[in-house]
Amino acid sequence: MTVFKTFLKVLNKCKFVIILYTVILLTFGAFNMTTSENSTNFVASKPDVLIINNDENVGVTKNLVEYITNNSNNVDVKNNEDAINDALFYREINYIIYIPQNYRQDILDGKNPEIEIKSTGDYQASYAEMLLSRYINIEVIYAKEIKDEDKLIEKINNTLAEQTEIEITSKLDTDSLSKATFYYNFASYSILAGAIYVICLILSSFNETKIRKRTIISSMNYKKHNRILLISNALLAIALWIFYVIISFIIVGKTMFSIQGVIYIVNSFIFTICALTIAFLIANLVNNKNAINGIVNVIALGSSFLCGAFVPVEWLPASVLKVAHILPTYWYIQTNELMKTIEKFDIESLKPVFINMGVIALFTIIFVIITNIISKRKRKIA
Amino acid sequence: MKNIIEVKNLTKEYRNLKAIDDLSFEVHEGEILGLLGPNGSGKSTTINCILSLLKFSKGSIKILGKEMKPDSYDIKKDLGVIFQEVAVFEELTVYENIDYFCGLYIKDKTTRKKYIKEAIELVGLEEFKKFYPKQLSGGLLRRLNIACGIAHKPKIIFLDEPTVAVDPQSRNSILDGIKKLRDQGATIVYTTHYMEEVEILCDRIIILDKGKVLATGTSDKLKELAKIEEKVTIEINNLQPEQIEKIKQLENVDEVNYNVGNLIITYKKGKNNLGELIEHLKKENIKYNKIYSERPTLNDVFLELTGKELRD
Ligand SMILES: Nc1ncnc2c1ncn2[C@@H]1O[C@H](COP(=O)(O)OP(=O)(O)O)[C@@H](O)[C@H]1O
Ligand SMILES: [Mg+2]
Repeated sequence: MTVFKTFLKVLNKCKFVIILYTVILLTFGAFNMTTSENSTNFVASKPDVLIINNDENVGVTKNLVEYITNNSNNVDVKNNEDAINDALFYREINYIIYIPQNYRQDILDGKNPEIEIKSTGDYQASYAEMLLSRYINIEVIYAKEIKDEDKLIEKINNTLAEQTEIEITSKLDTDSLSKATFYYNFASYSILAGAIYVICLILSSFNETKIRKRTIISSMNYKKHNRILLISNALLAIALWIFYVIISFIIVGKTMFSIQGVIYIVNSFIFTICALTIAFLIANLVNNKNAINGIVNVIALGSSFLCGAFVPVEWLPASVLKVAHILPTYWYIQTNELMKTIEKFDIESLKPVFINMGVIALFTIIFVIITNIISKRKRKIA
Repeated sequence: MKNIIEVKNLTKEYRNLKAIDDLSFEVHEGEILGLLGPNGSGKSTTINCILSLLKFSKGSIKILGKEMKPDSYDIKKDLGVIFQEVAVFEELTVYENIDYFCGLYIKDKTTRKKYIKEAIELVGLEEFKKFYPKQLSGGLLRRLNIACGIAHKPKIIFLDEPTVAVDPQSRNSILDGIKKLRDQGATIVYTTHYMEEVEILCDRIIILDKGKVLATGTSDKLKELAKIEEKVTIEINNLQPEQIEKIKQLENVDEVNYNVGNLIITYKKGKNNLGELIEHLKKENIKYNKIYSERPTLNDVFLELTGKELRD
């Protein structure tokens, strides 16, 4: 109890830091919420799509073009590779559909012609992709049974109209899911920075050589003393996590009461435990209170930038993302990003989520092992 | 007399340096034992070995009749240690610091409260209970350091140079406090390189050098080792060599040293040496400023045993 009480007193001395990181999280979170509300609603209902039709604009081909055009902003870009690439880069368009020659004939023959696409990879693009794949799926299925072109078109259009309801709800979800993803991505910074900062400060007080000597010669079992410190720090990290989860319910709202919501929460919990072990590792390496500030910046800020906690993942160059694979934050954010695109939850679609979580757990185990090795070596020297 | 601590043939090596060399001694119940030695003589290393903070290559250590090991928590509950460096939490007040370290031993809250109060009184920090370490002067910090080490009322207390770089007022308060602890029944091991301190404080003294015991005994017993009986210092200007030669011829005089206006004469035996010296100076018409006679100090003992001064 004595150790825990003193833990709280020392914690009380650095509460300012926790408040600071929370305020940063809330400020950016709230800022994003207000700005994204207008823009994402608009874009989500109508992504910018360019259709390059190499087939004749008649029959089923014409119907496809009309369906996409009705459900998106049709953008006019010169049909020239450079202009198209520029437009993609500057996000003037999210999605390009190349309809191949003989598309109509292939469909009518019961084939499944390949449609080339180009995409910005963001969720507006994934919305366009959803439109396209839904259309094609329906078209291919009915084309096998219905040989009359007019009847086929009618059947396709009726089926699509029935599904509009679902489309609208799914569209709304995309909007608030992107909010939640942004919030939880950003929380990775607050959790990591807060945990490292506070835990390192507290442990550097308890582990200062002089004070450690006093503790070792006391009649309190030193292993027990360390265990209490470990549990206290874990409680602190979990309290921080619970607090951030509660805020996410307030900011994101009812989307949190869904499978996605549960995954955000579980994912952030696993990440918090990982952050805890990172903090312990650093606290074991560094005993200098003045160095902690710099280390927090390098590790928390650095990994947050590299892994896309602040900027959308799609904006990062592939080489950066490749490097980011060695950071737990990357796997955490990948799961959050997946939540925006997964529509149906089954073993298959959740597989990448489980893999990501498994990787973070693996990182956690590795950090624990390294920390143990280092602290054993340190005890020998003392 | 009961032996509270028994150190036998203790040897501790740092790579190629023998910090402690076959050291053996005992600590008796209820005494203040002084470990006196210059910097680097192995005082801190000895204490750290006794406390199992350091592994040692040879020897055995028994405290209260039991062998001391890193997990001897039943022995540790009776120990109190004050290290050379101040070891307190910057984030806690004076009271909270004592409460924390006392709490590592004493679980019961009411007992602890009483003990903390007594510790604060002992070191005289009543007015600083709510202060943070940053707000305390060096001397007050040392006192807090001591309070943190003894609040749980240990039977055996180790103090490792608790008065280094401390103002005279705090030093006196610390020495008084240590005597009070002894009077309350504690056994104390006190290390220092200040010979004046061991003379006024310690019941028994062990003189250490290069990790070895040079001599053991009470202050008076040790001084017999100095082989000198009396030391007279006279402040004289412009003393001529032939005058010095005449003084050397006086009865009982062992050695005469003259430099920077100070004439130091040592005697190995004899009575009324000072009186005869003054008479001689009068007869020779030598003018002097001050003249005083001293009994030998522990420094002289150390000089005699090692050929070098205790102070660096
Ligand atoms: N960690 C260490 N590594 C190597 N040598 C050390 C170490 N600690 C102390 N020593 C050496 O051991 C000797 C005794 O040191 P110490 O016990 O601190 O002396 P004291 O406390 O009497 O001043 C010194 O020569 C010192 O340089
Ligand atoms: Mg020392």
